Amino acid sequence: MGIQFRKDERFRENFSYVNSDAGVLRFPFPFGEDRYMYSVNIEPHIPGGPTPAFAHAFDIDEHYIAECQERAMVLADDPGRCQVLPHMMPAQWDTLELLMESLAADYPEHFSLDKDGDTWRWINRPLGIDQSFVFGRPETLPCAPFEYITRQAQGDFTLQDQRDDNLFVDGGMVTTQADWSLDFDIGMSFHEWHGPVPLAHETGVFDRALRFLLRLQYGHPVRRLNWTMTINPRLDTSPENYPDWGPDRTTVTPENVAEKVHLRVELQTLFRLPRSNAILFGIRCYLLSLKDIERVEKWRKRLHRVLTTLPPELAEYKGLTRYRDTIIAHLAPHDDGAELSPGIQPDQTVLPPA
Amino acid sequence: MILDGTLPARVAGIDSLSPTLKRFRFEPERGCFPTAAPGAHVLVTLRGPERVWKNAYSLVTPPEARDAYAIIVRRVEESRGGSHFLHDHLRPGDRVEIGTPASLFPIASLARRHVLIGGGIGLTPFLSFLPVLRERGAAFELHQYCTDAETETFGRLLAEAGGAVTIHGSTSRRSVAEILADQPLGTHVYTCGPERLMAAVEAAALDLGWPSHSIHKESFGGAEGGKPFSVRLARSGRSIAVSDTQSLLEALEAAGIEAPCLCRGGACGVCLTGVIDGEVEHRDHVLTEAERADGKLIATCVSRARSDALVLDL
Amino acid sequence: MTDQGIKSRPIYATLRRDSSGRRHLYVSAGSGPPPDALAQDGLESWTVAPTTCEGTLPRPEGVGERRFRSTRYLMETLGRRLAGERMGLRLYVEGPEDFLWDVYGVAQAHGLGRQEIFLKQSGTLARRVQCVHCKTFNEGVTTTIVRCAGCGANLFVRDHFSRRLSAFQGVKIDAEQPGDVPQAERAYP
Repeated sequence: MGIQFRKDERFRENFSYVNSDAGVLRFPFPFGEDRYMYSVNIEPHIPGGPTPAFAHAFDIDEHYIAECQERAMVLADDPGRCQVLPHMMPAQWDTLELLMESLAADYPEHFSLDKDGDTWRWINRPLGIDQSFVFGRPETLPCAPFEYITRQAQGDFTLQDQRDDNLFVDGGMVTTQADWSLDFDIGMSFHEWHGPVPLAHETGVFDRALRFLLRLQYGHPVRRLNWTMTINPRLDTSPENYPDWGPDRTTVTPENVAEKVHLRVELQTLFRLPRSNAILFGIRCYLLSLKDIERVEKWRKRLHRVLTTLPPELAEYKGLTRYRDTIIAHLAPHDDGAELSPGIQPDQTVLPPA
Repeated sequence: MILDGTLPARVAGIDSLSPTLKRFRFEPERGCFPTAAPGAHVLVTLRGPERVWKNAYSLVTPPEARDAYAIIVRRVEESRGGSHFLHDHLRPGDRVEIGTPASLFPIASLARRHVLIGGGIGLTPFLSFLPVLRERGAAFELHQYCTDAETETFGRLLAEAGGAVTIHGSTSRRSVAEILADQPLGTHVYTCGPERLMAAVEAAALDLGWPSHSIHKESFGGAEGGKPFSVRLARSGRSIAVSDTQSLLEALEAAGIEAPCLCRGGACGVCLTGVIDGEVEHRDHVLTEAERADGKLIATCVSRARSDALVLDL
Repeated sequence: MTDQGIKSRPIYATLRRDSSGRRHLYVSAGSGPPPDALAQDGLESWTVAPTTCEGTLPRPEGVGERRFRSTRYLMETLGRRLAGERMGLRLYVEGPEDFLWDVYGVAQAHGLGRQEIFLKQSGTLARRVQCVHCKTFNEGVTTTIVRCAGCGANLFVRDHFSRRLSAFQGVKIDAEQPGDVPQAERAYP
C-alpha cells in the first residue's frame, strides 16, 4: 500500500494545506516535557519511534509531491538557495547514494534503484522520473548530484565538512527554512552559523554538540527535534523573503489563531558520509495547525504549558512575541493542569472531528 | 545508511604476498557491503578455539568495492592479537564477523596536495586512498619506508595501485624532512606506520612550520602494555586484573564483558567509560586537556591506571 | 558599541609572532610600521601608502618593506606571491574588518588555513553590510540602521558576520510593521 499523495497543496499566497487524521497523529510533536529549554537532545536515528515519522532514514509523507513542487518554485526564483562549495563534490555523490539507496529500500512502491556497475537507473514514480546516469560523472545528470537528489526529497539539507576539529556548513539545499540564509551562512564554522541562537552558547550546548558530532560514526546516524511557529502553512520562511512574510505575524487574532498559527517542527538527522567524511544534516520540516494540535488532548495541554514558561529570549528569537499571548489565551481554557505522560507520543489513536 | 551490528561475511580468498603478509578477501553473506571511506578500518571478530579477538584492520579496497572488502595482515610472532590465527587457521569459506567500516583517517577536503608516508604494513590505508586521489585528479606523492627485503613486495602492491610512488628501502632512503621540505602551501601529510616513523613525520613537519591541522596520523591499534593494575566494576562489583601486556579493553573482553569499542587506538571515543575512583594515565587522542585533568573518563582501548587500581562505572 | 550576543562576530587578539612559522609576512591596509611584537628579523612588511600620496609611491625605509599604491594592488600582488609560496609561512593582517577578511579569503584560496593567518582590526570600525533580501553590499556603514542602496529597505545591522563575504548581515527592521523604523544610531565609527 503506497502513500496517497496530495497534489493540489500550496504553501504560499492562497494557501491550501491539509493533514489527514493519520497525518496529524504521525506529527513529531517536539515537547516531551511541560517546559522547554535547549539541550543536546540527540538520540540514535534508528528506525522506529514515538510516531511513524521516525520509521525511516528519510521520511516521506502525503505532502511529498507538493513540497517538491514548492521547492522547484523557490529555486526558480532564487537559485542561490542551493549552493555547494567546490571541495564538496565527493559529499554530493555520497548524498545522492544515501538518499537513493534509502528511499528505494524504505519505499519500494514509490522509488527504485538499479545498478549495473557505475551505471545507475533511478525511478521516482510520484514525480514521474526515470533517470539513467553514471555514478561519479556529474555531466550525466540534469544538474549537480546534490541538487538533483534533494529536489526529490522533503525537507532541507546541509553538508558539513569536517576539518580543523570543527564542522563547516559548506553546502546546502535550503528552501523550507526557519529564517536562516544559506547564501549568507555558507562556509561558516559550527559556532558561527549557530551564532544568532540565544542562551544556548553560554550553557555549553554547542560545545558539547560539536564534540559529539565530530565523532559521529558512519552507519550510526543521530536525530533530534527542533521547533518554532509559522503563521500560515508557509514552508519558505527565509530571511530573503522576510519583507513578504513578516507582516503575517501581525495578522493573528483570537478568531483566526487556530487556523493561522502552525507549529513548525524540524526532524533533524545527521549522517556521516563515507567518501567525503562530511556530515549530511537533514532538516525535515513538519507543519501542523493549532486547530489540529487541539485535537490531541495531550499535545494541546502541553503546548499551553510550554508557551507559558518559555524564556522571553527564546520567544523573541523564534519570532513568537507578537502572538504568543493570543495562543496562550486560546489554549488556557482547555488545560486542566492534569499530569501528562512523559514523551511526545499522542496517547490516542483516533481524533475527534476537525 | 543505517547499520546495526556486524556484517556477516565469508572468507572469499587468501593471497600470500610474502612470508609474513597475507591478503584476505571477504564477501558479504548477502547483498553488498556498505560504502567504505578511503582510509576506513573495520573491526574483525575472530573466534578461535580458546579465545576471541577483535582486531582493527584498514581496508585496502576503494569505496566502490562493495562486493568484497580486503585487508592485509602481517603475521606477528609475539602476537597479542589474532594475526597468527588469521594466517594459520583461517580458510576460504570460513565465516567472519566484520564491523561497520569507520573512518578516522579521512582525506583532507581542502588540501591542495597530499603527501602520504607509510612504514611497513602501515601502507594499508593508503591502498584505499590511492584510487580515490587519482580519480579526483588530486596532486599527491606516496613514500613507503620498509626493509630492503620487502621493497619488492610493497613495490608489487603499489604497482597495482599506480601513481607517484617512491619506495625507500633500509639502505638508501630520503629522510622525511627532505620529503617535506619545499612543499607548496596547502599541502597535507598523512602517515601510518610504526610510532617512531609517525613521530618523526610529525616532528619534521612542525619544524618546517607546518600547522598541526595539516598533519594526519593513523593511530589505531597502537595499544601498548605497561604496569599491571586492577579494575573494579562498580555496577557488578567484579574485579579484573589487567596484565602488563594487555590493554584494559582486552582484559574486559577476556572477562566476558561487552565493552563498547570501535578503533581500539584511542581515536574514536566510542569506548570512553566513566571513572569513579583512581588515577588515569591518558593515552588517547580524544579527551580535551580539561577532561584529562578532570579524570572522570578513560579510553579503555589505550589508557591505563597510574594508581594500582581503578573503579569504573561499568 | 553594544554587543548583540551573536557569536559569529569575530574577536581579534593582538598580533604576536608565531614562532612555529618559518617565514613571516605582515600586510596592512595602513601605512604604519608593524607592531613591535612582530618586528623581528626576517619579517616582511607590506603596507599601503596613504591617500595623501596621491598615487606616488614613497620609498620603503627598511629591508623587507614594500609599499603599495592601494589595498587592491596589495591584494593582487599577495595572490601572486602566495601562488608560489611553500609550507611554513605565517601571514599577519592588520586593517579594517572588510580588508582583514578579504585578505583571509585570498590566503585561504591559496591553501593557508586558520592556524597560519592572524588578524587584527585597526582603523575604522565601519562595516560592510550585505542586504539579506537583495544581496547588495553596503560599504562603510557606521550606523545601527542603514537604508539599503540596492532595494531601499531600512536594514538593521545584525552582529551576524560572514567571513566568506567579509560582511555583516542587514535585515529589514520594519518587515513585520512597515514604516516602524527607529532612529539610527552611530555605532561603528
